[in-house]
Amino acid sequence: MSMKKLAQSNNFWAFIFLAPNLLGFLAFLLIPVVASFGLSFVEWDLLSPMKWVGFKNYIGLFHDQVFLRVLWNTVYYTLGTVPVGIALSLLLAIALNKKLRGMKIYRALYFLPVISSYVAVAVVWQWLYNAEFGLLNYLLSLIGIRGPSWLSSTKWAMPAVMVTSIWKQLGFNMLLFLAGLQGIPSTYYEAAEIDGAGKWTQFSRITVPLLSSTTFFVVVMSIINSFQVFDQVFIMTEGGPARSTSVLVHYLYQNAFEYFKMGNASAIAYILFFLVFLITMLQMKFSDNWVIY
Amino acid sequence: MKKILVVLITLLLAAASVTAEGKSDAKGSESRSGVTTLKFMGWEASPLETESVKNGLAVFEQQNPGIKVEYTPVAGDYVAKLLTMMAGDSAPDVFFIAADQYRAFQKRNVLLDITDHMNQELNIDEFIPLVQEKMLIGDRVYGISSCNVSPVMFYNKDLFDAAGLSYPPSDPDKAWTWDEFVDVAKKLTITDGNRTTQFGATGFEVAWGWVFPPMVMSNGGSVLSDDYSKVTLNSSQSKEVFNAIRDLRFKHHVAPDVAFVEQSGMSAAQMLQTGRVAMMVDGSWALQQLATMDFPIGIGVLPIFDKPATVGQAHLHAAWAKTKHPEEAWKLIKFLSSEDYQLSNIRAGLWLPNRKELYKEENLSKWINPDVYPEDFGNIVKYFTSYGKLWPGVVANREAYDIINEEKDRFYAGDTSVDEMMANIDKRTANL
Repeated sequence: MSMKKLAQSNNFWAFIFLAPNLLGFLAFLLIPVVASFGLSFVEWDLLSPMKWVGFKNYIGLFHDQVFLRVLWNTVYYTLGTVPVGIALSLLLAIALNKKLRGMKIYRALYFLPVISSYVAVAVVWQWLYNAEFGLLNYLLSLIGIRGPSWLSSTKWAMPAVMVTSIWKQLGFNMLLFLAGLQGIPSTYYEAAEIDGAGKWTQFSRITVPLLSSTTFFVVVMSIINSFQVFDQVFIMTEGGPARSTSVLVHYLYQNAFEYFKMGNASAIAYILFFLVFLITMLQMKFSDNWVIY
Repeated sequence: MKKILVVLITLLLAAASVTAEGKSDAKGSESRSGVTTLKFMGWEASPLETESVKNGLAVFEQQNPGIKVEYTPVAGDYVAKLLTMMAGDSAPDVFFIAADQYRAFQKRNVLLDITDHMNQELNIDEFIPLVQEKMLIGDRVYGISSCNVSPVMFYNKDLFDAAGLSYPPSDPDKAWTWDEFVDVAKKLTITDGNRTTQFGATGFEVAWGWVFPPMVMSNGGSVLSDDYSKVTLNSSQSKEVFNAIRDLRFKHHVAPDVAFVEQSGMSAAQMLQTGRVAMMVDGSWALQQLATMDFPIGIGVLPIFDKPATVGQAHLHAAWAKTKHPEEAWKLIKFLSSEDYQLSNIRAGLWLPNRKELYKEENLSKWINPDVYPEDFGNIVKYFTSYGKLWPGVVANREAYDIINEEKDRFYAGDTSVDEMMANIDKRTANL
């Protein structure tokens, strides 16, 4: 291709203009992602020469009691946060979809946790959960229940973290649902009302199906996010007590920068990737059954 | 997601630089005027420390007109940053290194061997034994200790006066036995209905595991074998200690659970100040904050099972093995271990001295600042010089120590018995 032709080619200019973004994507995302796949087959501490070990990192992880523990914790966290979080945010969105004075203020209030820093949120919730002086146990004591010490109990720490996460993310999913709800033409509801449909029928026959594409998006994103959970556990419990809140990304981090095992860390990243990939593919495959576009 | 990305990018950059290794030019940082610029990296543990680093460096530059120091404090992930910079062949000349990372880095040949300088200009025997043990790897030295910090027992004198009890001893040779301590803790525990408004004692169950080792050692047990290679916690002596610590909560009800302090939003000092707890085991550094508060504070030694014992640690200053300026780097490291640098932090109650010299009777007045330290602090010094041992977390395999902490937390939570805990530790650390 001659220079002149090149200068007239739309594609050429498109790539020139995309280049800054594309280079960034290549350097900071694509190449590291590909490279770390390679690193998951080596033994490496960043400072000494790499040693090729084949699938040893992967095999080792599945024999590693701690890895299986954190894998289960991650699944547990997902099961605990995603369904409840989605149900609550849908309810909230419906409640906030009314035309009331000052509705925008309510919406903003519920969105506030989303934009708050996790550090601040975690500190406040740590107070709420405090066994002796926390608000939660005080309220429980009013009805005669002696609450556990939430964050230092191996049974309750994870549920406590889940509740905080649900509360923090509620506003974001609520916003998505709200946008979905406002996309449903009111004529459908009016027609249904004339035909004698009650509130529940309207909800189950109009809202749910017409919201299904939003719901699908929210479900997929929530699951992906919850598999990658890190901040809240790291700040609230640092994975403790006794690893009861340690999750995949936390262990990945420990392997990389505490145990100097970059190969293991990369392998964990790829196990996480394949898990999320598999789950998302399955969701895509079965989405035809319930998602209406 | 962000964390994963950081890890991935780190790995990539490191991989790229490994292949580029050897190609990097030997351009030093000598400038026109013959002034050498040293890159120095540390973390910000507290505003006071940052301040003292800056003041200290000003003094150093004055004493060494040929050396300029460029200081970078790192907020956030220090180890990851240092590791990446080393892998990328662009590490700082001199840096802080946490005691429990020192051996892991040295094992990978990235720390400058300063043994010869050490032998010529300083003497390892100048340091108190636990600090010597911290610095020595085999018979070589790769970093000099910044200071020492140890767990001690802080208490609020008002609460003891109100109960008409005598204060915990500060002289380690007169330390309370565990039973005496439990007795006092019971008397200092106040309940209102089924709520405890004042706890007798806390601080033994710290998650990162630096208070159980002195108690185990006090009872004649050990955490690691002498060559640090094996976990030797499984003994009747340690079992007795762990049961005793858990009994404070389960049986005697004199202690709150560990999260009580760590997650109350209050510092140890505030807990004592507000009378939530009467006695609290915490790091000696807590004195710095306590001294700024308005209540009578006391410092005693930990109770003993058989003999007095405490542990110590604290970060070191080390140089990069590939630094272009090893002589200047040594000068800075040496300066950072001098009184010129340490004394302000020590006098503020944040650090304890790491040299025998300052612990001598005639030198105590140099640092036991009456505005900060309790009046009987002179009695406690032999706790650090004679009874102090290196905190095993410094020399243990990191994964093994994490396992110990995990199993100990499970035991403290009441999920396992002490025998199960020890069996699990033995089984899980056997192959590391």
